[in-house]
Amino acid sequence: MATYNTNEFRSGLKLMIDGDPYAIVENEVVKPGKGQAFNRIKVKNLKTGRVVERTYKSGESVEAADVMDTELQYLYNDGEQWHFMHPETFEQIAADKAAVGDAEKWLKEQDMCTITLWNGNPLVVTPPNFVTLTVTDTDPGLKGDTSGGGGKPATMETGAVVQVPLFVQIGEELKIDTRTGKYVSRAKD
Amino acid sequence: MNNWQPVASPELIRLRAQTLKKIRFFFEQHNVLEVDTPVLSSATITDPFIESFQTDYLPLTRRIEHTHYYLHTSPEFAMKRLLAAGSGSIYQIAKVFRQGELSQRHNPEFTLLEWYREGWDHHHLMAEIDQLLTLLIAEHLPLAESCFISYQQAFEKHLHINPHTADINELMACARAQQLDNVLDKTDPKDRHLELLFSHCIEPLLGKSEQTGQAQLCFLYHYPATQASLARITETNGVPVAERFEIFINGMELGNGFHELNNAQEQRDRFIHDNEQRKHNGQQTVPLDEHFLAALETLPDCAGVAIGIERLLMVMSGSRHINDVINFPFERA
Repeated sequence: MATYNTNEFRSGLKLMIDGDPYAIVENEVVKPGKGQAFNRIKVKNLKTGRVVERTYKSGESVEAADVMDTELQYLYNDGEQWHFMHPETFEQIAADKAAVGDAEKWLKEQDMCTITLWNGNPLVVTPPNFVTLTVTDTDPGLKGDTSGGGGKPATMETGAVVQVPLFVQIGEELKIDTRTGKYVSRAKD
Repeated sequence: MNNWQPVASPELIRLRAQTLKKIRFFFEQHNVLEVDTPVLSSATITDPFIESFQTDYLPLTRRIEHTHYYLHTSPEFAMKRLLAAGSGSIYQIAKVFRQGELSQRHNPEFTLLEWYREGWDHHHLMAEIDQLLTLLIAEHLPLAESCFISYQQAFEKHLHINPHTADINELMACARAQQLDNVLDKTDPKDRHLELLFSHCIEPLLGKSEQTGQAQLCFLYHYPATQASLARITETNGVPVAERFEIFINGMELGNGFHELNNAQEQRDRFIHDNEQRKHNGQQTVPLDEHFLAALETLPDCAGVAIGIERLLMVMSGSRHINDVINFPFERA
């Protein structure tokens, strides 16, 4: 069993706590002039995203979580699972709804995604920061309005609904920031 | 990247120089003598939670009894030898070294202002510390009136528990209520449980005025007798307490002081107990400082304190990281 000593703690380090994988968000050392030192960490549960605080006696060891990020290409959804492929080894991995979560609405076939694996199984699917998606539905909007002032909802090919400027038409390709869910620009081709 | 540049800003380099000058002026006005003592010593502190850097003497010109030396973690033992020899009240600004301590508030090499007042007790000394620190800090940071509170009062106020009478079960229940369970267990000594609660639930609140939220100097005194270190033990309300205090501001410890124990046998017993603890923890034991123990026989009644200069500069400049007040922090040293 791999472990980390508290003196190896740094943000990003992956630990097993109460049976779940966590990532350190913040590490603070509490060391009185005279007396026991403690490492006080903020950790994020990689399954739920919840951030909690934990304290360890300095010098203790904590079990490491076998968690790694890998870049995989999104292939298709079979109705239950989302399938990804390694672009060089062609190895395929399927992720379930729990791992895909909100990323679902940004997944476009052939896009490269970050898949966080825990013990080899998909834990979290993170879409690319920017995706290019085609508008499948939106109100026609006013002719000649190119100012971008105001906005309207538009449904994208993946099902995501994004606020877009009034001039955007059905069939256009748009660049969207998946971290904020916001329209960035028309796709330049 | 080669990090050869200093981290401290030019303003902070000047602030350190001005602060040291003011400290020296203050002690000159108060007739306290500046002294100098060795950094290298053949013996060191036994405290299981303070680890010394070590080095060897390689005789080129002359062999002596000792070859193994420790870098001092505070100039305390040597300064008390001066007091025992009749120096009267003394102070020192010394670079000291503590193994393994690196954090936002710790650099393994740091500066201590340490001073001793002959014929004074800890209450008298706390008043002088208050005077000096207020003088240094107040022009940079508005200070609320200083606060003097006992260790027991602080636990009763913030955790509704008496630290002297509570047993481990009560302390563990208290920790659980503060979401600090699973940190320690029943096999850990009571002092570890107290330290956990103190450092997580009390210390962050010390040194901030409850009325105005302004910074204030907070003197916390009368620690449990088991945390006496080099302080005398006295009895208040039937409970033995150490005549030891610490100073806090904005949730950060600035220094530690004692009404100094001058009973050599009692001090030796505490050192031996520390070494037993070290053995139990799997740590190296350390040689007892026989010079210091011999000097304690004639140490006059006195009180002493050590203040971290870098922590003080952090407070004065509003720095969040100790590196901001050091030219070349440990990683660049």
